[in-house]
Amino acid sequence: MSNEHTVKSYEEELRYLIDSVIKMGSLTESQLVDSMDAVIKVDKDSIDKIIKSDDEINKFRSKIDTQIMTLLVKRAPMAIDLRETISSLKISQDLERIGDLSKSNAKKVKPLPLDLPEELLGNLKRLGELVIKQLNDVLDSYVNKNYDKAKEVWEKDEQVDDLTYIAMESVIDFLSKDKKNLDFSTHLIFATKNLERAGDHITNIAESICYLIKGEYLKGSRPKGKVIQQ
Amino acid sequence: MELMNNVKIKSKNLNVYYGEKQALFDVNLDLNEKEVTALIGPSGCGKSTFIRCINRMNDVIDICKVSGNIEIDGVEINDKNLDVVSLRERVGMVFQKPNPFPKSIYDNISYGPKIHGKGETKSELDEIVENSLKKAALWEEVKDRLDEPGTGLSGGQQQRLCIARAISVNPEVILMDEPCSALDPIATAKIEELIDELKKTYTIVIVTHSMAQAVRVSQKTGFFHLGKLIEVGKTEKIFKNPDNKMTQDYITGRFG
Repeated sequence: MSNEHTVKSYEEELRYLIDSVIKMGSLTESQLVDSMDAVIKVDKDSIDKIIKSDDEINKFRSKIDTQIMTLLVKRAPMAIDLRETISSLKISQDLERIGDLSKSNAKKVKPLPLDLPEELLGNLKRLGELVIKQLNDVLDSYVNKNYDKAKEVWEKDEQVDDLTYIAMESVIDFLSKDKKNLDFSTHLIFATKNLERAGDHITNIAESICYLIKGEYLKGSRPKGKVIQQ
Repeated sequence: MELMNNVKIKSKNLNVYYGEKQALFDVNLDLNEKEVTALIGPSGCGKSTFIRCINRMNDVIDICKVSGNIEIDGVEINDKNLDVVSLRERVGMVFQKPNPFPKSIYDNISYGPKIHGKGETKSELDEIVENSLKKAALWEEVKDRLDEPGTGLSGGQQQRLCIARAISVNPEVILMDEPCSALDPIATAKIEELIDELKKTYTIVIVTHSMAQAVRVSQKTGFFHLGKLIEVGKTEKIFKNPDNKMTQDYITGRFG
C-alpha cells in the first residue's frame, strides 16, 4: 500500500486483515508439510496433531470473515482497499480448502502398511514437494505483492498436473501387480488427487493476487497438464 | 465493447480565473448524453466551478474570467452573443441546499415555464406542474396541497421540488451541485432513484462528496484536484482500479 489512510484505525484494520491472511497461510503451509511427511514416512502418530491444526485454520477463516464484514460495513473500501478486502476473502477460502485436503491426506495414513516400497512413494513425494513449493511461492508473492511471481505459480500448475499423472501411474502399476494392494492403493490415489486439487487452490490464490495487484484478471486459461487434457 | 452514448457537452482547454487566482486549468472533459457524470474531488478543487461553466453561472461573478471552449451539441456556449436565458432553460441546476421560492408549490413549478413563455393557458400550466412533479416523484405527496408554500415541505421534498422546477422548462441537461448533502439517507435514496429515472431523458452532471453516491448514480466519473482534471473514466473502473495514484489516494481516503 502507498500512503497511509487519513483514518488511522482504518489503516490498522486493513493491516490486521492482511496479517491474518499471512498467518493463516503459514499455518496452512506447515499443515501441508506435516501431512506430506506423515504420508511419506507413514507416521501414524502425527495424524491427530494434523487434524487438530485444521481446527486452527478454520478458526482463522471465521476470524477473517468477521474482519472483512466489519471492514465492508465500517469503511466501504474502494479501489486497492476493496481489492485487498475481497482478495483476502477469496484467498482465505482457498487456504481453508487446502487445509481440508491436508487433513484428508493425514487421515489416509491410518490404513497404510508401514513397509511401503520406495518406488511407490517416490513420485508422490516429488509431487508433494512441488505443491509445497507452489504454496510457499504464492504466499511469498502475497506478502511482497509480487505480480510476476504469482503469475509464475499460476503457470507452473501445469507441472503439478503432470506430476499427478505420473504419481497416479506408479500407484496403478503397483496395484496391477497384486490385487491385494487394492485397499491402500486406493488411499494413495486419493491422496495424489488431493495434492492436485490443492495445486488448483494455489492457482486460485495466484489469480486473486494478480487481481489484487493490477485490478484485472489474468487473461486466457491456465496451462493444463496431461491429466486434465486427457 | 459497451457502447457509449453521444457526447452532449464537450469542454476544451477550459480555464477559469477568479481575479488573479486560477480555478481551472485546461480542463478537457466530454459528458455523454443521457448519462450521469459524477465529479469528485476535495473542496476547492474546481468541480463546482466546472459545472457552473456549463450554464454560464460564472457570468454573475464580476471577477470571474473564462477562457477555452464549452460546446453543447457542438455549439460554443461561451459566445458573447449567446442568449444566456435560453441557455439556462436548456441547462437546469439544483443546488446543495434546497432553495424553493417563497411561493406555493404550484408557483414554484409554473414560474419558469411562465417566464420562458411556455404554458400560456391555465390548463397547459396545470399539465406542466403535474408532469414535472410526477417526473420528480413528488406528485403523490403534494397533489392535494399545491397551494401550500414550497418552503413548508421536508428537506428531501424541497429538493425534489427544486428538481421538478428545473424539469418544468424541459431542459436537456441538469446540473446538480451536491444535491443530497443536506438530506437524510431516505431522502437521499429517493433522489438517487430519481436521478436513475431522469437520466433516461436528461444529461446529468452531479458534484458529490460521497464516493458511494458517485458509484451508485453515475456511469462516468471525473476526479478534480487543485483545478485540474486528474482522471476521468467509467465509474466502475475509477472506483475499482483507477489509473492515477492521486485518484486512488483520494477515493481510498489517503489524501494529504
